[in-house]
Amino acid sequence: MAFCIAVIGKDNAPLYLTTSDLERELDLQYHVHAALDVVEEKCLIGKGAPESKELYLGLLFSTENHKIYGFVTNSRIKFIVVIDSCNVALRENEVRVIFRNLHMLYTDAVCNPFYIPGEQLTSKKFDRAVQKLMSGNI
Amino acid sequence: MRAVSGPGASNVGVDSVISRLDYEQNALHHSCLLVLLRGVGPSRARILQRAFEKVRRVNNIKVTDSSGNVRNVYFRFIHDHPVEHNDWGDFQTHRRLLGLVTIGKFDNQTELNELCRHHESLKVRYGSTLYESRAIFFGPDADSNSIINHQMKDGLSVVDNKHAVLQTIGEHGVRPDTGTKECQPGRIQDEYTTPSNFKSQAFFYREQDSCVDLEARIGDFLNALFWVLESRRLERSREKAEKVSLLLAPFEKRDFVGLDMESRNNRKRCVGRVMKNLADLSLQAGLLDEALSLYHNANETLRSVGDSLWVGASEEGLCAASAVILYPQMREIETLHRNASLQETGTSPLRKTPEKWRASDATKKINVTAATTTDALTSHSSSCSSVSSILTNNSSASGTPTTSTSSSSTSTISAVAPMGHRNGELPGNILKPEEIPNYYRKAIINYSKYRHAATIETEAALKATRICIEQNSPLDVAMFLQNILYINLSMSEPERVKQFEIITELYQQIGYQRKAAFFQRLAALKHVHQGSQAPDWTQSYRLLLGSFTGYLLSLDSLEVLENAAGWPALQIDLLQSLITAARRLGHSALATRHMTFLLQTQWGNMTATEQSEMAVQLQNLSAQCEGSPVPLVLENGTVIPPANLTDLPYCMKVVVKDLPPHLRPQRIKIAKADSGPFLFTPIHFNSVDSRDKKKNKNKIAFLWVQSDLCEVCVTLRNPLPFELPVTDMRLLTNGVVFESLPQTIILQPHAPTHISLHGTPIETGQLDLQGYSTHTLGVKSNCRLKHMRGRNLPPNYLVEVIPALPRIAIKTSLPQTATFSNMSRADIVVTSASLTLYNGESSSCTITVRNESDTLPLEHLEVSINSNVEQELQKKMFRIDDKALQAQLPVAPLSTIEFILHIYADADFVCPLPPAAGSVHSNSGGASNEHGASSLSPYSNMSGHASLPMRVGSPDHRRQQESQNLNVRSTLSGAQQSLASLNVQPGAVGGLPNLRPAQSSQHIEAQLRLKYSGGEALVAGYCRQCAVSFNLELLPSAQITSWDVLPAEIASQFYLVLDISNLTAQEMSLNYTDNKNILIEAKESCRVPIPVDRCSLEQVCIARAAEVAENLERELCFRTQLLSFSDALSKLCSTHIAERVKINWLLTGTDIKGVASLRGIVLSHEMVDLTTVSPIQWYISFQDAPVQPHSEMTCTVGQRAQLSISLTNQSLQPLKNLVLTIKFYQDYLNGMENYNLETRVAISGPNRITIPVLEKSAQSQHNCSVIFFTPGRFKASIECATRPQQQGSGILTRSCPEATKLSQLETLSSPSANLNTLSASSLDEQQPHVWKFIPPIEVTVMEP
Repeated sequence: MAFCIAVIGKDNAPLYLTTSDLERELDLQYHVHAALDVVEEKCLIGKGAPESKELYLGLLFSTENHKIYGFVTNSRIKFIVVIDSCNVALRENEVRVIFRNLHMLYTDAVCNPFYIPGEQLTSKKFDRAVQKLMSGNI
Repeated sequence: MRAVSGPGASNVGVDSVISRLDYEQNALHHSCLLVLLRGVGPSRARILQRAFEKVRRVNNIKVTDSSGNVRNVYFRFIHDHPVEHNDWGDFQTHRRLLGLVTIGKFDNQTELNELCRHHESLKVRYGSTLYESRAIFFGPDADSNSIINHQMKDGLSVVDNKHAVLQTIGEHGVRPDTGTKECQPGRIQDEYTTPSNFKSQAFFYREQDSCVDLEARIGDFLNALFWVLESRRLERSREKAEKVSLLLAPFEKRDFVGLDMESRNNRKRCVGRVMKNLADLSLQAGLLDEALSLYHNANETLRSVGDSLWVGASEEGLCAASAVILYPQMREIETLHRNASLQETGTSPLRKTPEKWRASDATKKINVTAATTTDALTSHSSSCSSVSSILTNNSSASGTPTTSTSSSSTSTISAVAPMGHRNGELPGNILKPEEIPNYYRKAIINYSKYRHAATIETEAALKATRICIEQNSPLDVAMFLQNILYINLSMSEPERVKQFEIITELYQQIGYQRKAAFFQRLAALKHVHQGSQAPDWTQSYRLLLGSFTGYLLSLDSLEVLENAAGWPALQIDLLQSLITAARRLGHSALATRHMTFLLQTQWGNMTATEQSEMAVQLQNLSAQCEGSPVPLVLENGTVIPPANLTDLPYCMKVVVKDLPPHLRPQRIKIAKADSGPFLFTPIHFNSVDSRDKKKNKNKIAFLWVQSDLCEVCVTLRNPLPFELPVTDMRLLTNGVVFESLPQTIILQPHAPTHISLHGTPIETGQLDLQGYSTHTLGVKSNCRLKHMRGRNLPPNYLVEVIPALPRIAIKTSLPQTATFSNMSRADIVVTSASLTLYNGESSSCTITVRNESDTLPLEHLEVSINSNVEQELQKKMFRIDDKALQAQLPVAPLSTIEFILHIYADADFVCPLPPAAGSVHSNSGGASNEHGASSLSPYSNMSGHASLPMRVGSPDHRRQQESQNLNVRSTLSGAQQSLASLNVQPGAVGGLPNLRPAQSSQHIEAQLRLKYSGGEALVAGYCRQCAVSFNLELLPSAQITSWDVLPAEIASQFYLVLDISNLTAQEMSLNYTDNKNILIEAKESCRVPIPVDRCSLEQVCIARAAEVAENLERELCFRTQLLSFSDALSKLCSTHIAERVKINWLLTGTDIKGVASLRGIVLSHEMVDLTTVSPIQWYISFQDAPVQPHSEMTCTVGQRAQLSISLTNQSLQPLKNLVLTIKFYQDYLNGMENYNLETRVAISGPNRITIPVLEKSAQSQHNCSVIFFTPGRFKASIECATRPQQQGSGILTRSCPEATKLSQLETLSSPSANLNTLSASSLDEQQPHVWKFIPPIEVTVMEP
């Protein structure tokens, strides 16, 4: 379902990144990285009214092959999901669901008292859950 | 609908498509007249740069038209213009090339001809659209021109366009056909002629000419262009609506073949298109309002017929017209942006954050909200670049364009436009700023319906992007740029790369560094695409380097490490691409540098395998070109700063080592200036010092010495899994010149290794140790401490280097010791000496000092002795002739001096023997007492009578120096009850070593410390210290085990009787008086009497006075330690004896000899009385004859004999409570004395007479008669005793003097009345004394 799911920290360094296609991982990383500009821009716009801040940022940009969606938590952790452009069936609502689930997974992962905020997410449980999320069967 | 032809529908030849995108275009160019500005002839364009600039600067003219309105007309100069673009001139008129200016330089006629030919050929090429042309020729300088061509021809060549243009010009009469006016003396055009086929207007200048009139001429030229355009516009506007022909975009030509052009729809289409065309022309001609309304009309008309392409064009035109009004400042941005981007690349990428841009963005937004009503003003002030805003503000402040000079016309003029509009209202039909992107979007959608309009679409997107940048809406920018990628434009790879680069640039403008980097990288990869025929690694490298910013990388590794931000995986990949590019470029130095950078910055982000892989790669790369810590400069001026492998090997610890102790410099102690009464004060008045200390926290406490080898210990760890050879490790220093010695080491994997780095400071001053340099993996690195992270290392160490000090070597004449000294400061010992001496023996040691320094003289030498014995004793034991030593100074380099150390084995000879050694009088009582005595004697410093039974008052006081608590009852030889009061102060004994067992051999350790200096360091007050350790073994020799004092035959002398034992293993010859010798066998002892002069009364008096004074003082001070009364008199006697009695001993058979002194002998009171001269002078006469010593006196039995005793007080004090006793006894000469002579002798009168007080110098007389009843030899003991005043404690006093004293002390401490009198009297007076008349009177009684 999704090509790539990335969790990006406050300082725009990746905390977690997984792809369905290992060969294209680096390429996807470049795309995800490039998408951060738009994420930042959108965060900036949302800064004015924190209450009404929408966490879901929507489509950041799309290329021939991918659509890249963004989501930012209140603690400025960014989630980026790369989805196949050809997958017309996937609605934006479903993307929202992915993000919501990802947010929950992330929250669970950082609830671990041994996790230091800002560190790479190495939790195996988180990884398994995200893999599941990516393949589309939650 | 016919017009809506799908992308695939019109497959017209590709030639009709604009082949090249004009990436630089922006919306404002719609209003510009296009002029080709081209340099011609051989490439000397750079010389003509000034001319280009001048021409380019005139990009705007103001023309007053017939109706009196001022028109602002803009021109765009371009270098190159594909002819095909002209074909789109109907579609968008600004694409038409209207003017031509060529600039060339010639040196001779042939070259001029060539230039003319060029000009003409260009004219021909763009002939279809060209209105007018000019040529600017620079000829050779006048003076260099030797051949003057006199072929005078009219310099002016008439502009001759093939078209009707000429006529138009003629009609208007604008053409400046006054070129002939330029005829001046020496005109260049007089010398050279243009060929006949050259029909353009040419301006001739000398090369060095300042071309003052060039701008004016160009202005004229542009005016001409305008008027032609204006005529065109008017022509167009006058066209009848019915008669207009259909205007076509190039690719549309075939679409309309065979169509009914008269249909209503098509008619409308024609009208709409013409209207749009007219709008374009109006926009160019400066009629903005007109253009706007025309665009609106055309848009409406065209939309109604569904002519999407032209609808798009009209929408775009609308946007352009609005933009011209709203954003006039964009004209300058075009040039300014270029500079700004240059500056950006110059600054450090990581420091420059997008926030900067965003900050201005925010302010702009505020501006927008604040001034929505005055759009023009807002947009005017809210320019993107700060520079331009300053410019525009400036100009708006100035108000009128006339304030600035004509040369800076562009900026001022551009500012006029909005002002004009501000004065009048903005046109009502203008697009609002927020509408512009929408219109562009619409236009793009319309364009996108046509495959052949892809170029137009792309350009429109770029224009929209630029407008959005101006509007500060980055999301729109991103949207438009994203859209560009979707445009299916068939373009070559280089074109695509170019497109990517433009996109990059635009993204950079809005601060989307990541996006920009993404495309930059794509462009870089495109350059070296696999299928690419000629991969351009240079470009690829340049672009990759450019994309660093987006990935938060900096060229400086330190900065990257500091920020530690970004996306490690991407950074590593990018760096690897960069390394590949550099390698393929053949620039191995760069490749090595980047690889080093990669290792240095991404070390933490790599796995262990990756780390070692990279390390190996680096090794391979550096094999081609060694890396060194110098900046590399690229051709484009980019400086690649050095990358240092600071953590390979990983430095764990750095320790700056002091010099070895014996070479360590010290301050020569100088008498410290008196800094007040306080020894210590926390307040620092010269706070400069303390501040300095705070400042240099890294300052090392010790000093290094110039040209002395110094050491820094570094602990390194090799984080790689293979052996890491590190060569040429040196210390990196700053400040003082420092010569570092290289060090090479092979580090085992993961094992910490200690390395000592050495070096020599060449100068004096402050040395700043910054780190070390390494050469590993083929890369030279400067590893500075301040760059090492995660360790608690200071950024540097500061060491003070003092001037060079000499160095000495020391030799002694004595053999070295086998053992090490355990004295303090044993570290400075450089050599040792050992010596064995008998107590009392003397020896000497020659010490040789060699100055080992090559250059420095030894000017200062200070010798001191330090030992584990007390100072006093030490002075006796070691002696150096300092004067002789100082006289030998200075010691020249590499020469030697010698001096002698005298050693005397001083010991305490007066010391009781332990029982084991056997005592002379072993009438000991109780083993326990014996034990007590022997164990006590060493502590108590006093030697009581050797084998006396001693009672230990309290064991706790053993270690006390005060011995008052010891009661020693002497039961010494003479059966005479002598009380030894042993209250002897330690000082009284003259500094005998404590805990010194005299009997066994004794070890003394001493250090001969030498402080030496020379040269400048001496001036600076530094020296070095080294020491010679002496190990002295003192063997016991003679020992005085017990002693007594006996009255001598004459009153001025007494006999000191000593028991001396020979503790050596050899026979000893003892010389105890001037002429008396005695031989003592080994381990034997013998008794010797030594006559000694008595201690004079004056000395006694002085001693007493001192004691009194001391007592008084003590009392005044309320000392608590009142127990330590000193018996001054006893002390005096002790020294008196020690001074006079010297016992020389000699071990027979050897030449070992020595002197035993009696220092420290302790005398009881009775002994003291004998030792001192009696204060009472006796004058005794028997039977009226004075009694002489040893004189025989005779009397007869039964006869009365007169005994007259006269006492005189010789002392300075009155004597109190004197009791004169006369006793007769018979001496059997066998030790028995019989005092029971009641039956043999009778004395008339009392034999005990009490004299209460005998004043000073007073005399007391006592006479009595004696009758002897039996004949025989009688002796009379006449003695005078004093008793202490405390009558009640008299007995106690006798037996226990301590008690007396204690009781006295009690009274002292109590506030009793007699306190003063008691305390004032000396201790001696409070003691019972017995003075005898010596020798006793001997009377021989004969039978009558």
